[in-house]
Amino acid sequence: MWPTRRDPSVRRVGQRRRREDLAWRWGARVASWIPIGGLSFVLIILVIKAWPAIVVNGADFLTKSQWLPGNTYGGVVHTHGVAHPMGSSYGAWPLIAGTLETSLIAVVIALPIALGTAFALTELMPAWLARPLSFFVEILAGLPSVVIGLWGVLEIGPFLAHHVYPLVANHVPNVGPFRYLKGPVGYGEGLLTSSLVLGLMIVPIIASTTRDLFMQVPALPKEGAVALGFTEAEVARRITIPWVRSGIVGATVLGLGRALGETMAVAMISGSVLGKVSPTLYGTMTTIAATIVSQLDSAATDGTGFAISSLAEAGLILAVIALAVNLVARAIVSRTGRLAAPVGRG
Amino acid sequence: MTLQRLVRVKGRSLATLALVAVATVFATGTVASAAPAKLPKSGIETPPSATLTETGSTLLYPLWNIWAPAYQQKYHQINLTTGGTGSGTGIADAASGTVNIGSSDAYLSPSVKQATPSLLNIPLAISYQVIAYNIPGVHANLNLNGGILAAIYSGSITNWNSPTIAHLNPRVKLPSLPIVALHRSDGSGDTFIFTQYLSDQVSSWAKGPGFGTTISFPTISNALGENGNGGMVSGCQATPGCIAYVGVSFLTQALGDGLGYAALGNGVGQYVLPSPTSAAIEAAGFTKATPANGTISMINGKIKGGYPIINYEYAIVNQHQSSIGFARAVRSLLEWAVNANYGNSNTYLSQVRFVPLPAPVVAQSLKQILTIK
Amino acid sequence: MDQVKRTTPSDHSYPSTRRRRMTAVIFRGATLLALALVVAPALWLVIGVVARAVPHWQWNVVTTLSQGTSGGLENAIVGTLVLMAGVAVIAGSIGVLTGVRLAELSRLRSGAWARGAIDILAGFPSIVLGYVGYVALCVGLHWGFSLLAALLILSLMVVPYIAKSTESALRQVPTSYREGAEALGMPEGYALRRVVIRSALPGIVTGLLIALSVAGGETAPLLYTAGATNNLPTFSLLHQPVAYLTYYVWTDYNQPSDVAHYVSNDAALILVVLVLTMLVVARVIVARTQRHAEGTR
Repeated sequence: MWPTRRDPSVRRVGQRRRREDLAWRWGARVASWIPIGGLSFVLIILVIKAWPAIVVNGADFLTKSQWLPGNTYGGVVHTHGVAHPMGSSYGAWPLIAGTLETSLIAVVIALPIALGTAFALTELMPAWLARPLSFFVEILAGLPSVVIGLWGVLEIGPFLAHHVYPLVANHVPNVGPFRYLKGPVGYGEGLLTSSLVLGLMIVPIIASTTRDLFMQVPALPKEGAVALGFTEAEVARRITIPWVRSGIVGATVLGLGRALGETMAVAMISGSVLGKVSPTLYGTMTTIAATIVSQLDSAATDGTGFAISSLAEAGLILAVIALAVNLVARAIVSRTGRLAAPVGRG
Repeated sequence: MTLQRLVRVKGRSLATLALVAVATVFATGTVASAAPAKLPKSGIETPPSATLTETGSTLLYPLWNIWAPAYQQKYHQINLTTGGTGSGTGIADAASGTVNIGSSDAYLSPSVKQATPSLLNIPLAISYQVIAYNIPGVHANLNLNGGILAAIYSGSITNWNSPTIAHLNPRVKLPSLPIVALHRSDGSGDTFIFTQYLSDQVSSWAKGPGFGTTISFPTISNALGENGNGGMVSGCQATPGCIAYVGVSFLTQALGDGLGYAALGNGVGQYVLPSPTSAAIEAAGFTKATPANGTISMINGKIKGGYPIINYEYAIVNQHQSSIGFARAVRSLLEWAVNANYGNSNTYLSQVRFVPLPAPVVAQSLKQILTIK
Repeated sequence: MDQVKRTTPSDHSYPSTRRRRMTAVIFRGATLLALALVVAPALWLVIGVVARAVPHWQWNVVTTLSQGTSGGLENAIVGTLVLMAGVAVIAGSIGVLTGVRLAELSRLRSGAWARGAIDILAGFPSIVLGYVGYVALCVGLHWGFSLLAALLILSLMVVPYIAKSTESALRQVPTSYREGAEALGMPEGYALRRVVIRSALPGIVTGLLIALSVAGGETAPLLYTAGATNNLPTFSLLHQPVAYLTYYVWTDYNQPSDVAHYVSNDAALILVVLVLTMLVVARVIVARTQRHAEGTR
């Protein structure tokens, strides 16, 4: 005997369930506004904090190469009504350049390696080997960046400086872009080491996305190509990669976004030198993110708050760069809809 | 400032939790004008039960970690949390009232003082700075002075075999080895006193880079930024030819790592090795000049036998604590810390190579401590 | 292979067979080299973490409090776990509900806003979040270094991972399940809870675990929000700093004493074990459900 709709107990249950409908609806609606609110809060605070610095530093902020907090123990001067210590002068050009250089070099290195890795994992390796290896590559994406930075500063940096960079510096021809590989190789902290480690950090993002995409390429066109006598290389170049090109581009841009915002590893490996763009690939430098983490503490000793404000301006620039990269990635990836593997970012 | 306040007001309406926190800070701010507390005969007030938070200077952090268990053993009712986050956040957090004690290697700047007039900088101990270097084969203590250091850091002396260095060190055979000048990448009290020494001895440096917790060091090819004193020592160890300025509490490790350290030219032209004795001589010379609020640089004094880069390590405390209980507990802790029989005895200080405060400075510190309400 | 050449005899731009064979060999070598270039440093990295920590490992690290540059890591381990638990609650509930909204209920335009915000947050530099946490929450609101400030910033950072993985897990639930539920007269919310979310649960839990592993491994947003302390976390949300493992890795690695290096290396090892455990569990869940799905097909 089934209960009927007129049965009062059924109605009560019905009401309770409708209330559950409402609870889900409103819960989900409210929750989905929280990220919007949080992001707006972050951006508003950033703009408010950066505003005095934007007013005083002007457009020069993008081109100047100094990072001078000024004499925090000396007099306070006012520019456009904003108080700042005498002698303070901020320019973020070396930071912006360092951020872009490390990230772009990282992507240029990471992309071919990631594609090769994905190809090896999907087409060359037997399944019993490919499965643990791809899991291992994915795991690499999850390692905390401070641990990767530790490895960078303790092991790979000194190794490169002692065994690899001298060879490179002595043997590359002194022409064109190779000139940046000439000169004193330093001690393992600097632009190239940072870029290489960043590259290693974003390879998994690109590789695991690409691997998944490769697996989605239907077998038929590939088999047809092989039947026509295509070699592996030709199948990859003419069939597989064109098939998933937009996905690869999207994953690459996501990787670039991660490299731009990476903080701890770069803070540990870059050499942390403010105020100059490195003349060679081995030179010491720093990035926006690394500068914020290493300077925020001393910025707090500037009683006018101008140092904190200038850091906010640098942060705002980083946020804008990251946003632009992200929007591009989003436009490209929206079709694939896959969430890139997370990577420790700071 | 108005913008900062704007943010604060906006935020307050966002979170009621914060409202309560802010309200307590503001409400207790009004208890200020009572008479100063009295010191009991023992020299240390008995604290009520409380949880105190200290954060700030990484140079003072090891000392706080030695002090904390000793103090808590005497006064079980206190739970003291220490943190090494950097002088800047120490000062900022003490100013905003979120920690009871901030610690700093540098005294408060006038602008900070202006923003929060109730902030005190109370000398707790004396530290000094060592100029360390890594020259393979050279274990002697080189003679160096502000002129040479300024020339190195601005790139006009780039090799250890420079005749200018040789002239001051006729007995040492210096190799041909490029100099790598290390500086702190994070803002630091060590950079502050080091650059102050350079500014005091070299007028062109005073005009040029000047001094501060973060300065733009002249752009030279062999510069390397290091994070923290630890980074300076381990970076120097890894880099033959380096020169670095490090807080004295790191000297033991620096020596263990095979680094040498210099005798520095002082204000009367003598070359003096850093030691507790020479630092104490310098400190004694500055005692009279130390003002009641403890704000003074003790660099390059005209003091015979004194080591020229020393500084007070400060507790940054807001005069207005959030409750009477907190105020009593903070007073008790600081009274213990500056007391020559307890916190300021060599039992604790020598572990980090700090020097005790001279008695007149202790008296001044105590006066400041007793104004904490 | 020769066939191809014979069918295009007139095409002079087409490379010779020998060259194509060479290219094929080089290509194969290059892909294997690429794989090696990823796997070898990664192995070096992971083995390095273990090799640095194990020779000086003492189990009492887990049960003693830190003394900054020496001592144990109990406070940091507990602190990291507390932070992860807090993030699981805050970011977990917000993220899952947002994912539900995006997958099931987004007939309204604001769904697009939520999606945009999540995409932007997913790529937002974490240090900038940490900066805002410090100036707005710790200093601006006088919270000080505190659990709440750290939790809010970390949660904001990882909500996108949870929301996205929840969304994609929900989207993979077959439409027939929803139709069946509707045909049975189930109200929407009830069907969501009993049918849809239940079958999407493995995906949701996987996303949550990945998000927690990210949260546990973060340093930059915590340095200026959680602060540092040698004590165990207290139950107060405000004014009390929280210890966490990455702080000790970062602070002690270049302190010039061997003991400090041990602390740093131990913290790195514990951190890696913690993070990898979560990733492995997540992976096992995925593998299980895949096998399950394939079995029922």
